[in-house]
Parts: sequence; structure tokens; C-alpha cells
Amino acid sequence: MSNAGTQIDQPPLSFENAPESDSELRKRLAIETIITQSIDKRISLDVLIKFSLSSHGLVNDNIRRVLWPQLAGVDVNNLQPAPSLDALQNHPEYNQVVLDVNRSLKRFPPGIPYEQRIALQDQLTVLILRVIKKYPNLRYYQGYHDVAVTFLLVAGEEVAYAIMEQLSTTHFSECMQETMEATQRRLMFIWPVVKFENPELYTFLQKSTVGTLFALPWYLTWFGHSLNSYKSVVRLYDYFLASPIYTPIFVTAAILLYRSNEILKEDCDMASVHCLLSRLPEDLPFEELLKTSSTLFNKYSLTVIEKDVDEMIRNENEQRKAEEKRILERRKKTSRPVTASKSLGLIQWLPNVLTSKSVLVTTAVSIVVGVCAYYYKNQYLAAGIS
Amino acid sequence: MAKKTYDLLFKLLLIGDSGVGKTCILFRFSDDAFTSTFISTIGIDFKIKTVELRGKKIKLQIWDTAGQERFHTITTSYYRGAMGIMLVYDITNEKSFENIVKWLRNIDEHANEDVEKMILGNKCDMTDKRVVNKERGEAIAREHGIRFMETSAKSNINIERAFCELAEAILDKTSGRESAENPERVIIDRRNNEKAPGYSKCCA
Repeated sequence: MSNAGTQIDQPPLSFENAPESDSELRKRLAIETIITQSIDKRISLDVLIKFSLSSHGLVNDNIRRVLWPQLAGVDVNNLQPAPSLDALQNHPEYNQVVLDVNRSLKRFPPGIPYEQRIALQDQLTVLILRVIKKYPNLRYYQGYHDVAVTFLLVAGEEVAYAIMEQLSTTHFSECMQETMEATQRRLMFIWPVVKFENPELYTFLQKSTVGTLFALPWYLTWFGHSLNSYKSVVRLYDYFLASPIYTPIFVTAAILLYRSNEILKEDCDMASVHCLLSRLPEDLPFEELLKTSSTLFNKYSLTVIEKDVDEMIRNENEQRKAEEKRILERRKKTSRPVTASKSLGLIQWLPNVLTSKSVLVTTAVSIVVGVCAYYYKNQYLAAGIS
Repeated sequence: MAKKTYDLLFKLLLIGDSGVGKTCILFRFSDDAFTSTFISTIGIDFKIKTVELRGKKIKLQIWDTAGQERFHTITTSYYRGAMGIMLVYDITNEKSFENIVKWLRNIDEHANEDVEKMILGNKCDMTDKRVVNKERGEAIAREHGIRFMETSAKSNINIERAFCELAEAILDKTSGRESAENPERVIIDRRNNEKAPGYSKCCA
């Protein structure tokens, strides 16, 4: 951390001075004892993962500063010094990165001295541009800066760079592809989990056509963009650093399942449900949710989920094609005289009504009519007309 | 829980380059507030505001989009349902103005043919940093037959007017069409998560 150390005196930043609970204290002391007894502050990966996953995670930022690099597989004795901002100003993504970094004030502790914040924002810009300059196949996305700032504030610019380099080539590499298509498909992984766990909720969410965009900022930033509590953000980062690559999907599913009662009471339309879901309640019990997430991860194999998602995508594509066809046919029909199409419809239905299975058919017809009515209602809703 | 009704629902969309002030414009309109510590929009978000126009209660559902190009495949899927689109550029940013043509092409490709469009030159309070003069904005709007306005979310200039003009244009278009009317005056059950907005009188 040569640059950070020489340029500005950087005290540890803390957002909240919530008193340490008894269980936090016990955990902190246990971790600190192990660190003190270790050689070179290195502790075994198994133990480290257990600490990170279990309640309170790594407890505080002093411990995170020591253990996050180890969790991410970064060698703190082999860090490269950061280049200057001037050296990166010609990068094609420079303007976009600066735009987003300038709009990241929320992520800095309130009351941080202006000069210190500006220095940190410059470090953040350098950090991001360094990664995408080194890996030209990786593309910067809005939200990447939310991840980077979390590591910068805890670990300092050089360690944060090494961690971001590591994560960009693993956890976030899919998000950093040329397009967001792979990420959109990945987000659909929440559906099979919700479907297997709570079919009613799944049906409701599908009926609302809410999609997965409410979860996009969560996934792209490990919730850093969407949570107001700094403490919750770093706690989640402990968990994600110690977890397999697609874990945010399971935390998202856990949140949906936890909020199911509230969701089921909402109006079943896209806008209402999107609005409800995209705003995370302040009092989410994250320790409980992370336990659920781990249980879900162990319960469902990614292969099974993926198969289900592929089927969903196939069905959606077929539905879309059928819909397009229906719209085309409807347009053709409306251009014909109305009476003709009406009588044609009657002639088609009459023979069926007269068969011996007429009761069954009548029921089927009313179901079809009901479905059609629902479909058209939705169509109008989708078009913003109700 | 107060039950409110509306006569019409209009879906609007805000598009334009990253950092031109789309979220600020929306925030000024929906919450009448401005803060300089805004955050980047990731993906898409929306707000609701109900306005009254010609004795009709109109619920505006306004979708705010991420400006970064890599989100375009995601955001363009929302163009289809929009009845009005606000295309925003920043009068202190030449590139954002040049890109208006690109955004218009995007609308042509992805939105409904009869969508109402409006171009907004935002940040018009920043006179000392202006690089795009008003005439250029007017010219491009005239060329494409689109409404145009200069706005400032910060100084609250023309924000309400812009939304109301757009809503009014949509109203003109739909008033002839029976299907757009809400026959049952749908009852909306406002829940706690949604701030119940007061009906604001639109610029008469």
C-alpha cells in the first residue's frame, strides 16, 4: 500500500459505531487468537471459509483487511504499485468510469474529509481501469465500481486491485462479457429454485411477468449497490468471497422466498412487483438468509437448474413465436369485414357443441375463453392500456 | 389504506447517454427534489406519478434506464410497451448530443410506430459549461418532427412542463381511441411500499 500510505494518511473507515454484540465479540476474539498464533497472519483456508460463512462473517474491517486477500487467493507480498491516473486517461472507458466513480459518493463514509474522498475516488478510477486495461476481453459495466469501492475502502488500492483482478477473471467474468446476455440467462437460475421451494410464489411471479431485472444490480454488485447498510454489504462480501461462483443467485432466491407473503399480497402486474422486489427492506435478516442460501445451494445441483432454465427459455421462445403469429393473424382478421369472421367462428364451434362430449367441450371452451380473456387483458396491460 | 383511482395509465421511458441526468429529471418530477449524490442506474428502474389533465386522472409509469451501451439489449426490450419516450442529452456534453441520432434510430427499431417522442437538453442551468446551443437542439427536433425543450433538474426548469406536454400529446392521440379509456376506473390498492402520490395539477 505504498501509494496510499505515502500520499494520504488513511485511517480505517467506519460507517457505523454499533456496539459489538456478545456473539460478535466471541467470534472476533476467536479469529484474532488464530491470526496471532499463525505464521505471517496466514490461517488455513478451511478455517477461514468456515469463519466467513458462519454468523457475523469476519466481524470487522480490521480482520477483513487481513483475511479478504487470503480468501480471494491474493498474495499481499507480491503486489504491483498502481500507475498514475494520467497514464490511464486515454482508455476508451475512462469517461464512463469517471462518471460512475463520481456518482459513488453514497458508498463513502459520511463526513469523510473532501481531499481524502477525492484521493480515494481517483484510486478507484485507477483500480478499475488497470483491470480492464490488463484484460481487454473484459468489459467494464456500471456496477463494477460498486464492487471495487467495497474492496478499496477495506483493503486499500493495491490489495483491492489484486482482489478485483482475481474476481474479474472468475466470479464476474460472465458479467464482463461483450453483452449482458449470459448474465440475463444466469439470473434465470433463480426460477427453478423458487419453483421447487414455493410453487405458488413461482406461479405468481411468472404471471406478473416481472422478469429478473430487479435482481440485476444485486448480482452485478454483490448487493453493494442496493443496500444502505455498510455493515450488511461487507458481511455479504465475506460470504460471497468464501462461496462458489453463482452464490448470489441463491441469496436472491432466499430473499424472494423470505418475502413470499408480502409478494403474494402485491398486485400481480409487472410494475408493482418490480417496484416491490427491487427495493430491499432495511431489516432483512441476512444471517438467516445466508443460511437458507447455503442450504439451497447444497440442495439443488446447478446441472438440474440449468436444464430447467434451458427448457424455460425454449418455452418462452416458442410462446413468443406463437404470440407473434397470433398478432399477425389478428391483424389479418381485423382487416376483413367483422361479420364474416364472427360467423366463421360460430360455424367452427357449433359441431363440437353438438357431440356427446358436449359438457366436457363446453367446459374446455369456457376455460379457453377465460385464458384468452386473461391473455388479452395482459396484452392491454403490457401496452399500458387497461 | 387509501384507495385511489385513475382514468388512464401512460407508460413513459427515459433514454439517453450515461450521466445526462435521466434519473435526476425523474426524481425532480416525482419527488420534487435534487441531490448531487445520485447513483448510476443499473439496468432499469421506475417511478409512478399521477397527474390530472383535462379532468382525467392519469397515472404515469415512468421507466428510467441505464445509459451505458452494454445495457441496451436489456433496456430496448422496454421500448415496445412505452407510449412516450423522453430522449435526454446534456447541453454541456457534445457527445451526448451527437448520440441523439443513434438513440432516435434505437427508437425506430424497437418502439411502437406511434410512440410520442420528446428531446430534452438537460443541465441548462450550467450556462458557463454549455457547448450545445439551444438552436442546435431545436434544429434536430424540427428535423425529426419531435417536441423539444431545455430543462434543468437542478434548478427545476421545465421538468413538470416536459412531462405534462408529453402526457398531453399521448392523451390527444388516445382520446380518439375507445380502448385506451379505462372503463372500470380500476381501483388501485396503494400499499406501504409505494408512496401515495398526491394528484398534481399539470401545467394548465
